[in-house]
Amino acid sequence: MRFEGFLDRHVRWVFPLPALVFVVVMMAFPIVYTVWNSLTGWSLSEGTPPDFVGLKNYVALIRDQRFLLAAARTFYFTVLAMAVEVVLGVAIALLLNRDFPGKRIVNSIMLLPMMATPVAIAMVWLFMYEPSAGVINHVLRVLGLPTPLWIAGADSVIPALALVDIWQWTPMIVLISLAGLAGLPADPYEAAEVDGATAWQTLWRVTIPMLMPTVTIAALLRLIDALKTFDIIYAMTGGGPGFSSETLNIYTYNQAFSYFSFGYASSALVVFFAIVLGVSLLVSVTRRTVEV
Amino acid sequence: MAHHCTRISCLLLVIAAFAAEGHRAATAQTKPYAGTAIRFLAANHPWTEAIKPLLPEFEARTGIKIRLESYGEDQLTQKLTTEFTAGGSDIDAFMQRPLQEARQYVQNKWYTDLNPLVKDPARTPADWSFADFQAGAVGTEMVKGQLTGIPIVVEHEVLYYRKDLLQGAGLSVPKTLDELKAAGQKLSDKGKGKFGFVARGQRSPAVTQFSSFLYSFGGDWFNQETHKATLDTPEAMAAFKFYGAMLREYGPPGVLNMSWPQAVAVFAQGNAGLYTDADSLFPNMLDPGKSQVADKTGVAVFPAGPKGSVMYSVTSWGLAMPASTKKKDAAWEFIKWATSKETTTKTQSVGAVPGARGSVWDSAAGKAKFPADWVAAAQASAKGRSYDRPLVVQVGKARDIIGSVIIASIEGKDVESAAHQANKDFQALLDAEPK
Amino acid sequence: MATHAPPRTLTSPVAGRTARLATGPSAVDVAHFAAVMLVLLLFLLPFLWMLLSSFKSAREIIKLPPSLVFAPTFENYRTVFATQNFGQYMANSTIIAGGSTLLGLLLGLPAAYSIARFKQHALSLAILLARIVPGITFLIPLFILFRALGMVDTFASLILSHLLVTLPFIVWVMVPFFEAIPVALEEAARVDGASIVQTFGRVILPISGPGIVTGAILAFVFSWNNFMFSVVLATNRTKTLPVAIYNFISYAQIDWGGLMAAAVIITLPVLILAVITQRYVVRGLTAGAVKG
Repeated sequence: MRFEGFLDRHVRWVFPLPALVFVVVMMAFPIVYTVWNSLTGWSLSEGTPPDFVGLKNYVALIRDQRFLLAAARTFYFTVLAMAVEVVLGVAIALLLNRDFPGKRIVNSIMLLPMMATPVAIAMVWLFMYEPSAGVINHVLRVLGLPTPLWIAGADSVIPALALVDIWQWTPMIVLISLAGLAGLPADPYEAAEVDGATAWQTLWRVTIPMLMPTVTIAALLRLIDALKTFDIIYAMTGGGPGFSSETLNIYTYNQAFSYFSFGYASSALVVFFAIVLGVSLLVSVTRRTVEV
Repeated sequence: MAHHCTRISCLLLVIAAFAAEGHRAATAQTKPYAGTAIRFLAANHPWTEAIKPLLPEFEARTGIKIRLESYGEDQLTQKLTTEFTAGGSDIDAFMQRPLQEARQYVQNKWYTDLNPLVKDPARTPADWSFADFQAGAVGTEMVKGQLTGIPIVVEHEVLYYRKDLLQGAGLSVPKTLDELKAAGQKLSDKGKGKFGFVARGQRSPAVTQFSSFLYSFGGDWFNQETHKATLDTPEAMAAFKFYGAMLREYGPPGVLNMSWPQAVAVFAQGNAGLYTDADSLFPNMLDPGKSQVADKTGVAVFPAGPKGSVMYSVTSWGLAMPASTKKKDAAWEFIKWATSKETTTKTQSVGAVPGARGSVWDSAAGKAKFPADWVAAAQASAKGRSYDRPLVVQVGKARDIIGSVIIASIEGKDVESAAHQANKDFQALLDAEPK
Repeated sequence: MATHAPPRTLTSPVAGRTARLATGPSAVDVAHFAAVMLVLLLFLLPFLWMLLSSFKSAREIIKLPPSLVFAPTFENYRTVFATQNFGQYMANSTIIAGGSTLLGLLLGLPAAYSIARFKQHALSLAILLARIVPGITFLIPLFILFRALGMVDTFASLILSHLLVTLPFIVWVMVPFFEAIPVALEEAARVDGASIVQTFGRVILPISGPGIVTGAILAFVFSWNNFMFSVVLATNRTKTLPVAIYNFISYAQIDWGGLMAAAVIITLPVLILAVITQRYVVRGLTAGAVKG
């Protein structure tokens, strides 16, 4: 009983403690290691040892055209994918929120795009997207429609990749929104009915506002992941054609495991982390100020 | 008297003692490493598939247990880099790509130099015959005087062609690059989705297959004596322009994203007439289970440019030993066995893996699994150049620089300025190379 | 047409169930079902291609136009299970994903509750950091760490590194769900003499069913698909499916059929899990009818 009393009084520390401890312990060394490396000129390929060079890497990074372009592309890809995913995801969740035969199966099947191993999905889309050998352009040709280059064209590669991301992750928004919808209380709806609200009004004035917190969190989590998208881009284009699909994550991976410039890659990672953190903070602060 | 051993029982005892001694010695000889385990990192490769069923025999004979792990190419690089960088790795042997990694690994002192092991008659019996390995293949493995690995797979660039399409157009197999161009033009009918020529156009993968074009025009990446970059010499520019024009005019759309999987798919579907790439890719085109044009495909030597037919002839994969291993002897036993004449004959004849041993190529078993015209092309290409990419430590970066010129050419942009810029960047890279 | 039933709109969480039982499918029902099927088809198209291809030979797979009628072969599936040791890899993936999800729930649910109740924003951000940090940052440092602890070839190291992925996700998904629970409920339980812990276990958790199940399934999927950590930290014994699938991508050949078969098989366990647990998400409808 005394233990439970202790717990009750200190629940705000005891409950989150294990999670916090885990995160701190697991992240401490990697973060220190990376930040330290970013201050050295360590390069396995150029043979430079891990000696302290101060902020040289960061200065070089800001001047690096390739890095800046990668950052721009990352935002382009993320905004494109996110906008569609959130809107489409909520819309489909609303669609699926009704009762219909096979609802349980359908909701589970919506998981499939996310579940397929990234490399397998990437290979499938790679093949489907192939301008001459792929099935998508084949169908378009048969229908007499224009056949874009998809991931093989410098201008179309980011939207084409975003499409794969949308295909793969909209279901996540759908499922979280569905769970959110399932948890909505019935009171406001009864009140709305009593007030004689139309279906459309109910949707915009009752459902969506109540769903907002859940959707915003889902969007934030997706945002973080979208900024860090790696698997499909790496497997499908490796950053090509040329460098036109090289996002920040691909860029840092190349610096680390293709050029073996660990010092420089670490500085890119630190900046990348700062960007993702900044965006996340922005979104979560916006969410809190917008909320009533 | 009781304590006197009778002559016979004494004799029996002595014999038994000697026999026991002899048996122990014999066991020690046949299983000197009993109880040792070797951690061997391999790539997902037909060679790995071919060696797996042979491992139990090796284990039974020597007592060495092989713990084989296999990964995709890039994952292998990632894993090796991580483990060697972190230090204290327990890897005992691994498959290496000498052209991609050897210089860097040598610089970081990650290899055990195999030269002393090969030359030591106590360790390596003469009949294992190091001289049996093709000169070009060994050349690839020698870096700064170190023997970084033993070659297990060799590769050349060849020309795949559609026999029926050439015949139908009244053309013979192109023997020069000019004939290649003419054939590419004649076989192209883009409106109908038929393309005369296909090849890699993706930034980094294209570089290795472009190399033969570069060499045949008389060019090279850089002058190895003066360390001056040679990407904008007239020969190099002619090569860049030729390659780009071939793909731009006679190639399929989307060539800029093509590495071998896509290029192979276009050819195997029957939509391309000519394809230059590595000979190791032949199953994709010639296996009826994989290709729709298997029986219509032929293999020829790389066509000749203004300066002859100079293709690459390289060791694509070798077996290497890390410097950090604590089981050098056992690891060498494994590498010796895996690259012996006997084992190579088996991997080559059963697994259709092109090995580097001349004697195996001369034997009927060594040629059995390869189509006749493929063998002819491979053998004719054995005298080619022993590198398909610049011999620098920063291979990844170099390939990206060179790839940008290839892309500019394919897109029909200004090749001259692209080549000049690339040459500048490449020179900077060369200057930064550790000596 | 029934007039006294609750409005059968797409927006009401109590949509149409009771009404439909009374009158049978209407035009709206049929149109709705058609729309659902269309959405499903679009999302499943690549999967259907995958599924079909898994029964074809490589030659058949690359054929254009893709053949819908063909002689199926089971050779690919045989290859997957017989020669590639897939049973073991599947078990490995299950252990690791299950372990990291369970641990994620154990550590994450109390933390999320605390954050929701006591508005511990700084804490929640600290936990989210683990997901914001780019994955590459962890590769070499974690390898060094686990090597020092002698844990490289263990399931524990993989579960812990995957926990970095699942824990922040679970915490952040659950916060809005916990926030949405009316405080009045908890107070009622406290008045009855329950401690916070008891309230948490007996009142909060059951109500959050849909959220917990959804969060857990998604966390499981993230761990299931994780590639980078598995490459660096695993050996053959602990290899997971995403790494194993590379067995079908060889140096100069891609076993398309095997790859497709493997990709299909990889999705099955999670799919079954999802179907079973979807019951709890759907059931949340009644739990959501919480009258305060």
